[in-house]
Amino acid sequence: MRMLRPFIAAFFAVTFLSLSAYAQDARAENAERFIADLGDRALQVLVVDTQSDDERIGAFRSLLNEGFDLPLIGRYALGRYWRRATPDQKSEYAQLFEDFIVRTYAARLGQYSGETLKVVSSRADNKDMIVTSEIVRDDQPAIRVDWRVRESDSGPKIVDVVVEGVSMLLTQRDEFASVIQRSGGNVEGLLTRLRDSTTEN
Amino acid sequence: MKPSQTRPAEKSPGAWGLSIRLSLVGLAALALSACAATGDAGHVADPLEPVNRYVFAFNQAVDTTLIEPTATFYRDFVPDPARDSVRNFLRNLESPIVLANDLLQRDFEAAGITTQRFFINTTAGILGLFDRAAEMGLERRDEDFGQTLGSYGIGPGIYIVLPILGPSNLRDIAGMAVDYYFDPLNYYANNTDQNGITLARTVVRGIDARSRTIETLDEIERTSIDFYATLRSLYSQRRESDIRNGAAPSLPDLDMTGGDDEDRTASLSD
Repeated sequence: MRMLRPFIAAFFAVTFLSLSAYAQDARAENAERFIADLGDRALQVLVVDTQSDDERIGAFRSLLNEGFDLPLIGRYALGRYWRRATPDQKSEYAQLFEDFIVRTYAARLGQYSGETLKVVSSRADNKDMIVTSEIVRDDQPAIRVDWRVRESDSGPKIVDVVVEGVSMLLTQRDEFASVIQRSGGNVEGLLTRLRDSTTEN
Repeated sequence: MKPSQTRPAEKSPGAWGLSIRLSLVGLAALALSACAATGDAGHVADPLEPVNRYVFAFNQAVDTTLIEPTATFYRDFVPDPARDSVRNFLRNLESPIVLANDLLQRDFEAAGITTQRFFINTTAGILGLFDRAAEMGLERRDEDFGQTLGSYGIGPGIYIVLPILGPSNLRDIAGMAVDYYFDPLNYYANNTDQNGITLARTVVRGIDARSRTIETLDEIERTSIDFYATLRSLYSQRRESDIRNGAAPSLPDLDMTGGDDEDRTASLSD
């Protein structure tokens, strides 16, 4: 038995290693497939010509809610000011934030002109998976987009999008922090601006 | 009034130009040591924010009345291939700057590519008008001394909005000053008293760059609630990405799984 011990240890080591490698692969594969699927469905929304703007925005909003962890993103975008907000402010902010994101990104997606999303690779980053993709365009260099995907109770969700090294979340947080700071550190100042911006046009 | 208005814009690289550039380097070196200076808003240090916002407003006015209309005209009336050739030509002229910085970053592979690109594009690309090297798989990668400083571990220092030139920071201003000396064209222009060359190049490069960002910038402005803060964040992140040469970005830490009152993000922004 004693002679066998190293073999048993080796056996367990190999089994354990290959299992964790398998889990890693499965995790990577899941995350990559999640992004590729979402890209395909976004494409379907984009290429349908018959939709009115309202329908398009509605489809975009449901895709957004399905693919992104908006409550977490919103909270992070508020940064340290999240703590200073009252419960009422938090719930109003959550709604305004969603409207703001829909308004901002629906406009950008409206300029669709035949780009396709190609998933390139993925890697683990603590508890998140970072999926690297390229937006492929005609006659122009591809745009690199990294998606930070986190497992949630309702499946994988995107928590940040990094375009050519620029984090949308960090950009949003910097902007919100600036608005709050300029209104004397008051979260209400941001809510006012968000209200104004989501009601106009 | 007229001459004194136009002369500073020429950025004449005469004696005063050089001394200004040198003193900028000194100023930058001083302030870079204080680069931990904290701006409260967001992750970019911006203690000069009131001045910066003032310059930013000025730049926006100049952009609206002059630069954007010119860039739009340029884009609409100059065919795409011609615009690409203009850009290729200017980029080819910048090859010595890129090469110097490749070498300073000890990136010899990139230095090799930059050198090959220069010879291929200058010959087969007809003085740089065509980017034949890219078609052969030798893609261009921009380098400047600001990036070189960044690769040495030097932080951006404080954020500075330059008149006309736009967003920058102490490190990148120091970089611009040093890059000036890496550029043979500047010596040529200086020695032959043809300062118009460097001015013309700067203007054309600016108009070309602007002509390629008309929709993007318009839209960021339209969808922002603080355009200044958004551009400040975009510029800073973009430069960090350039310094990493597009390598895997270090995404902001998103560990905030705690309850509503637990604010672990505070450590990120302080």
